[in-house]
Parts: sequence; structure tokens; C-alpha cells
Amino acid sequence: MFLYALRVAGKTKTRGVRSTHKMDSNNHQPSWIGKLNRSLERLRQSENQLSLVLSLLIGALVGLVVVAFILLTGRLASRMYPAGGSGWRRILVPVLGSLSTGYLLSRYFPFARGSGIPQTKFAIFINDGRIMFRTVLGKFFCCSASLASGIALGREGPSVQVGAGIASVVARNLGLTPKQIKALVPAGCAAALAAAFNTPIAAVLFSLEEIMGDLHAEVLGSVVLSSATSWMVLHLVLGDDPLFHVSGYRLLHPSEFAIYAALGVVGGLGSVCFVKLLLGLRAWFMRLPKRTVWFQPVAGGLTVGLIGYFVPEVLGVGYNHVEKVLNGDMVLKMVVLFAVLKIVATAVCYASGNAGGIFGPALFIGAMMGAAVGGVAQALFPGSTAGPGAYALVGMGTAFAGIVRTPLTSVIMIFEITRDYTIIVPLMISNLIAFFISQKLQPLPIYEALAFQEGVHLPTAHSRAHTERVQVGQAMRPAPVVLSPDMLIASALHRIKDLALDAWPVADAGGLCGMIRSSELEQASIDGASYQNVAAILRPGARLGGSKDERVAHVHPDHSLSLALERMGAGGLKVLPVVSRANVRQLIGIITLDDILGAYGVAKRPSSMEQGN
Amino acid sequence: MVNPFKGPSFLRTFGLVLLAIAVLFTADTFLANAERAESLAGAARLFQQGQALMQRGDNAQAIERIQDALAIERGNRDYLRMLAQAQFAAGKTSDAESTLTELLQSNPTDGLASLVMGRVLVKEGRFAEAISYLHRAIYGDWKEDAAGNRLRARFELIDLLAGRNSKQELLAELIAVQDHIPPDLERKRGRLFLLAGSPARAAEVFRGILQDAPEDADAIAGLGEAEFARGNYREAERHFQTALRLAPDNQAARQRLDLCNEVLTLDPTMRGIGPTERFRRSRRLVELTVGETTQCIGQNASAEVQGLLDEAGKALKAHVSAVQQSEASESNLDLAEELWQARKQECKSPPATDGPLGLVMARLAQ
Repeated sequence: MFLYALRVAGKTKTRGVRSTHKMDSNNHQPSWIGKLNRSLERLRQSENQLSLVLSLLIGALVGLVVVAFILLTGRLASRMYPAGGSGWRRILVPVLGSLSTGYLLSRYFPFARGSGIPQTKFAIFINDGRIMFRTVLGKFFCCSASLASGIALGREGPSVQVGAGIASVVARNLGLTPKQIKALVPAGCAAALAAAFNTPIAAVLFSLEEIMGDLHAEVLGSVVLSSATSWMVLHLVLGDDPLFHVSGYRLLHPSEFAIYAALGVVGGLGSVCFVKLLLGLRAWFMRLPKRTVWFQPVAGGLTVGLIGYFVPEVLGVGYNHVEKVLNGDMVLKMVVLFAVLKIVATAVCYASGNAGGIFGPALFIGAMMGAAVGGVAQALFPGSTAGPGAYALVGMGTAFAGIVRTPLTSVIMIFEITRDYTIIVPLMISNLIAFFISQKLQPLPIYEALAFQEGVHLPTAHSRAHTERVQVGQAMRPAPVVLSPDMLIASALHRIKDLALDAWPVADAGGLCGMIRSSELEQASIDGASYQNVAAILRPGARLGGSKDERVAHVHPDHSLSLALERMGAGGLKVLPVVSRANVRQLIGIITLDDILGAYGVAKRPSSMEQGN
Repeated sequence: MVNPFKGPSFLRTFGLVLLAIAVLFTADTFLANAERAESLAGAARLFQQGQALMQRGDNAQAIERIQDALAIERGNRDYLRMLAQAQFAAGKTSDAESTLTELLQSNPTDGLASLVMGRVLVKEGRFAEAISYLHRAIYGDWKEDAAGNRLRARFELIDLLAGRNSKQELLAELIAVQDHIPPDLERKRGRLFLLAGSPARAAEVFRGILQDAPEDADAIAGLGEAEFARGNYREAERHFQTALRLAPDNQAARQRLDLCNEVLTLDPTMRGIGPTERFRRSRRLVELTVGETTQCIGQNASAEVQGLLDEAGKALKAHVSAVQQSEASESNLDLAEELWQARKQECKSPPATDGPLGLVMARLAQ
């Protein structure tokens, strides 16, 4: 029935909406098909409604796919290396898993390697939001197999790429524009992360903070909707369990802030070690002959297998062990060992080209580092510090902030994972310290660095902020000549004859009236209107007034140069008036295209500037 | 805005997305249910292993297994109860207390959790709280055999009260439970009535037992104890002798019998003794109370006590004719009583009330 409706609806669509209505009455088809048709047509025409509906649909679809991914990976893992299984199995399974997925990734799904975050950013910023369906499939199945075989990587990064890919595939199949596709991809990312981590708010923040690099991005609405929908789907299927169950922790003594700060330092340094090791190994693997690419993941499988033979806790994502340490059920020596081994295992697995992310390992490493610091603190100051579990909890956020470099997301994520507010302040302190240390010692964030190694230069939040920082006020200059609206055109031409500006501000006693182009003055002179006033030839679009037609293109001193360029392009001008925000008729100066280029060090400022001064 | 695309593609994609959602939802629900069922089975298996380990006395391993089961099936009350019991058995009372607190916060009427909490608190020496939790166990909810479990909880409380010599509370509990006690616990009830200071009820209980089993040595000894506690030393002596005849190895009965004999040979109020014997016993009592007082007070006796001691010394040295023996007996008994009271007041350590002298003096005070 549903397919029939689609077929009929499809036929009617080709004939247009009006004919659909006709068919309803003439061909005796059910009226709801006609109504559905008309609704879909209206939806198609309304960008906002379409975005709303697609956000909901993508949220639900991605949520369900990620839930399937989690369940599939978990079930496969419990069969591939069951608890209490033989040691040889723990070596063999990761090796075979990495060998098979390595071949598949190399032969059929080359874009499904690694984490998925850099690939998603590549799709958004460079590839018009385009992620192939084959990549989505490859990521889903190869990651499932890879993680289930014990490869020490995480499932969240791949989920993000899968979510982004689904959004991209759906949007492209709906025939949306590249801009609309790019707007939906972050919604897919947020939906995926909300389902993978059970953290809807952190998912929204991550999509904006890391993927988009802009917390004020226009896609906020669709990202929130999609994340919330995905989270609801997750709860519907898997219930209301948080990712980790944690005892209620609290700050026992104000001096604990110092220990949390120390944890920030340890977490920051540990994060830098991890990132540098991973990038160094990745660079080494990339230098190996191309023909070995399919075989390289075996290095990761073998490493994790050998480690797993002696220390099975390092295998796979390891969230059950994270939960144990969060509840203070591990001894100090073991957590230090686990942290070190996980850093090595994850770095080798990722660098050798296995499919999987670094979110999960970051949380694992952070929890172990935190528990180690907490264990030492408790041994030194018994009675005045919380248990190691509390430090493990903060350590997770610390490592996340240090490795992934999203401090805000990490705070909210830990809050959502544990649903415990009392630990937030120590978490913020520790996170920021780790973030700053990581930023200082490893300036390029991990995802940008990984893309850089691949020869892709992704825009970073830092680079965007730097671009935005150069403002009109730094490049503008005083207007060399301000024409009066009462001035004769001949006089105006005389005044500007030695100056090479494209357009001139026209101002009276009340302030700026508009802008007039040199060419307009010259044309008026040729047309014999030299003795008319300048006001007579001032076009409405070049006037500054109350009506919509009288809005001359202008900028304010705090606007970015990029916006000034945008407005020049839109108005076809090379000069813009710079006016006060408090009074738009108050002319502060002008800015020219050369001024902007000069500010970026591309061109020298023209001589007119000196003349003007 | 929207690209000029073909209508069918738009509709088909929408349809496919909805179809995919429906299919995935079904698949996910199936997978999740299968996963849940497997997890629950795994948890139950671990729990059973934990139970078996606990029965073998390997409580540390049992705790690990049950905790693993709880990590899978969080909040399962049966697992939590068993975990608390294993923790208690392993001596981890603070862990057990924390587990039980979690359980009792979510359901304060949980009988088993209250009972185990009571045991934990007893071990920690927090008796008042323990008694409160044992009361909760008695009136709490039990999953199975509520009556039996409540009775067992009450007996734990009774044992605790008996151990702490809280006679009134113990008697109250015994009276509350007396109609529900199974026959095999009757003997214990009799003993507890004795502990609770109700020898009449105890004697009644033991007599009840002896009606069905007249040769029950324990019950006869118990009856002896009850009579002894009531001051019927002659009766008690007889019962202890019978009990020892039936069970010659009963050392407690033998000791009691010796004590009975000592009391019976010391007690001047005993029926059937002549004035001379009565006088002899009264002198013996004065001697014993003087000895007890001197031993206790030493050289620091107050003037009043010293006066009594001097008087006693004179009385003991005095020659009493046969005619004066009755009067002298009364005087000696009064003097012995006064000395006993003075010793009680001036000595820091109380006199032994379960020795022959204490028992006779108690009888005289009546």
C-alpha cells in the first residue's frame, strides 16, 4: 500500500500539483494521496519546513543506525573474544580482524579509514558536504568488525562519519543544494554522537565546536533537533541507562582543587604524549610503500593482540573497565599500566590505518590517568580527598579536552555521562589546564594534524578566529573628500579630479546622505548636467535613508574585513563608507578594496591615502 | 533554494527514509531484546556462581561474581541482597552497610536487607541501631516464607537482647513470640524466659516439655534452673539430681547442684532445721559477711561499718546458751543483713549475687 502510494504520488508529481488535484477527483484515487502530494510539495518549497522535517528524520535514522552499530559491535565482540577466553584467541582475533578490514578498507572503502572526524570536516568544508553511501557502508561494517575484534579504538568517531554520511546521502537524494547539504551534515554528526555517547547536549556542542568550529553556526536549530530525536530513539530502544554508572562524588576539601589542577597538568602532558606518538607513528606508516597499505592495519592488530594476551583490559573500547575505575575498583599500579598500554595500543592501531576513533580511548586513558592521580592523592592525604573514582571521572574530561581539544564539549559530556553536577567545577579547572598545555605543546589539533598529514588543510577554529579578528577599524581611513548634496556636479568633478577613488561619500549637515560613483558624476557631465546638484543624480540605492530602497552599502568599524569584502562584492563597489553604529549617518571614514588587501599584506595602500591625509 | 529535481526522487527518498527507519527500528528492537536477554542470563549465571562460592566460604570471589552480575543487571535487589550478605560474611561491614543503605533507601520495608543490616550493625557494636533494624526485619516485607523469616528475625533480636541482658525487652519479645514457636525451639524459649527474669514462665515451659518427654534431661535441668531462680532450692536440687542421673556429663547441672547444696546448708530460714542448726548457720552468715566486707573495704571502713564489724566480732566471740540461741540467731541475721547492706553501699565492686552467700542474703531480704 505504501509503495503503491509512492508510485502514484510519483506519477502525479511529474504532472504538477494542479494535475494531482484533478486526478483525485477524476481517477477516483484516495484523496489522502493527493493531500500527501500537496503537503510534500509545500514542504519542498519551504526551506525552513524542509530543514525541520529532515532534521527530525535524520535524527531518527542516524540514531537507529548508531544503535544498530553499538549492538552489532557489542554482540560480535562478546563472541570473538569472550571474557575468560584463551590467550591465543586474544592475539589471533585482532590480527585476523585487522587483516580482513585492512584489505576491505584498502580495496573498497578507502575513505572509511581512521576516525571519521577529519573525513567529515573534509566533506563539509571542501567537498560540499558530499560523503558517499559506499563510505557509510564501509565505515559501518569495517568498524564493527574492527572494534569487535578487539582493536583498541572507539566507536564514536566512526559513528559521526556514518551519521554525517547518512545526512549527506539523504540530502543529495532529495536533490538539495550543496548549501543545504552542508547544513544537514552537522545535524547527522550531532545525531550520531548523541546516540553513541548518550549525550545530546555534548553532541550539539561537539558538532558546533569541533565540526563547524563555530558555536554560533546557523545550523544550531537543526543540530539540536536532530540530536534530541536521536537521543529519544536511543532511549526508546536501549532504555535510560547512562554510559557510565558513577557513585555520587563531591569535593571533600577546598585543597582538592590543587590536586585537580595537578590532574589537569598530568592529563595535558599525557594527551600531548598520546597525540605526538600517534602522529609520529602515522607519519612513519605513511612513508611505507603504497602497496603495504592493506597490510599495515595488521601492525595495530598484532600490537593490541600481544598486549591483550597479557592485559586483556586493553582490548576493544574498554568501557566496562572505565566503569570499574570510576567506581574505584582498581588498584593504582594497574591503572597506570592500563593508561600506558592503551596509549601505545591506540596510537599503533590508529596510525596503522584501522577503522575506529579516538574518543573512547581518550576517555579510557583519561579515566586511568585520573584514577592514578587520585590514588596517589589519597595515599598522601587520606581523609581529605575524594576516592580515585572521582579523579577518574574528571580525568576522562581532562584527556578529552587535551586530545580532542573541545573543552566545553568535554565538560558537558562528562556532566551528561555521569549526570552528576557536583564535579563540574573541578572538571572545568582540570580541563582548561589540560587544554592550554596541549595547545602550547601541540599547536595543531589532532584532527587538523591528521588531515594535514594527508595533504588536506582543514580550516581550524583558530584560523577562522584570526581571520575574523582583522576589523574594518584597523584598515579604514578618513574620507579624502566629502561631497555636499548641494554641490554642483562640475564642482564635484573638479574636487575629485586628482583622486582615484571609485565612489565618494555625500554628506550634508545632518551627516552622510549616500555614496556616489565617479562614473555617475562623469556621465552626468557628459549628459550636460554639470550644473545640476549632486543630490539630483544620487540614486535611491545609494542614499542613506529610512526606506528599504535607501540603504547604501556600508560597514562599521568593528566589522570584519571579510564582511566588508562581501558587501563590496554584493554592491559592485570598491569603496564603502564606514559609519557609526550609534548613528548611521555619522561618517567615520571609508574603506577601499586596496585598504583591505593592504591590511592582509597583499597590496600597498594607494597614494590617494597619503593625499587624503 | 531547492534544486530543480525530479519529483519521484524526492518522494522516493522520503519513502525510503521512512521505510529504513521502520526496518531499523524493528531490527534494533530485536537486537536490543536479544542483547538484554543474553545479558540477564549472563548476570543470573554469575549470580549463581557467586552463591555457590559463598556457600563454599569463598566470600571474596563471591563478591566479585555478584558485583559482575550487578554490573550487567544494575539495581537487581536479589543480587544486591546477596552481595551485602557476602560482604558481611567476608568481614567487609562498611561495604555491606553501604550496599544495604542503597537497598533500604529504595525500599525501607525490605525484610532481608533490614535483617542483614541488623547483623552488620551488631558486628560494628551499634546495638541500638541494630535492634531498630531487626524490628524492621520482623515487620518488613519478605519475598518468600514471610512467617518463618520473621520468626527467625525475631529470634535474632531475642538472642541479641539476651546477649545484652536487656531483660524487659527480651521478655516482651518472648511473650510476643510464644504462640508461634515451633516445638523444637521450646527448650530455648524456657532458657530465654530464665534469662529474661521470668522463672515462673520458664518452669511452665519446661513442665510442658516434660509432659511429652518425662526423661528429657535438658528440660529437667531447665526446670531445676527455673526452680533455683525462684528460690526453691530443695526442688531445684531434686531436679538437678534427676538430670544428672539421666545425663551424668552435664557439668552445668552438677555445678548448679553443688551450689544448691551450699545454699541449702547455709540458709538459716530453711524449714525443718532446729534452733541449734539455725543458730550455727546464722553465725556462719555473720562470719561470711564480715569476711566479705573486710575483704572489700579493708582498713578504710567508715565509723558506721567499723561499728558493725566490731559488733559482729563480739557476736562471734560471745558464748550463747541453748536457751538464747533463737534470739541470738535473729540478732545474727539482722547483723548479717546490716553488714551486707553496708558492704553494698561502701564497696565499689558489687557483691557476687550468684554465690551461696549472695543467694542466701537475697532470700533473707525477701
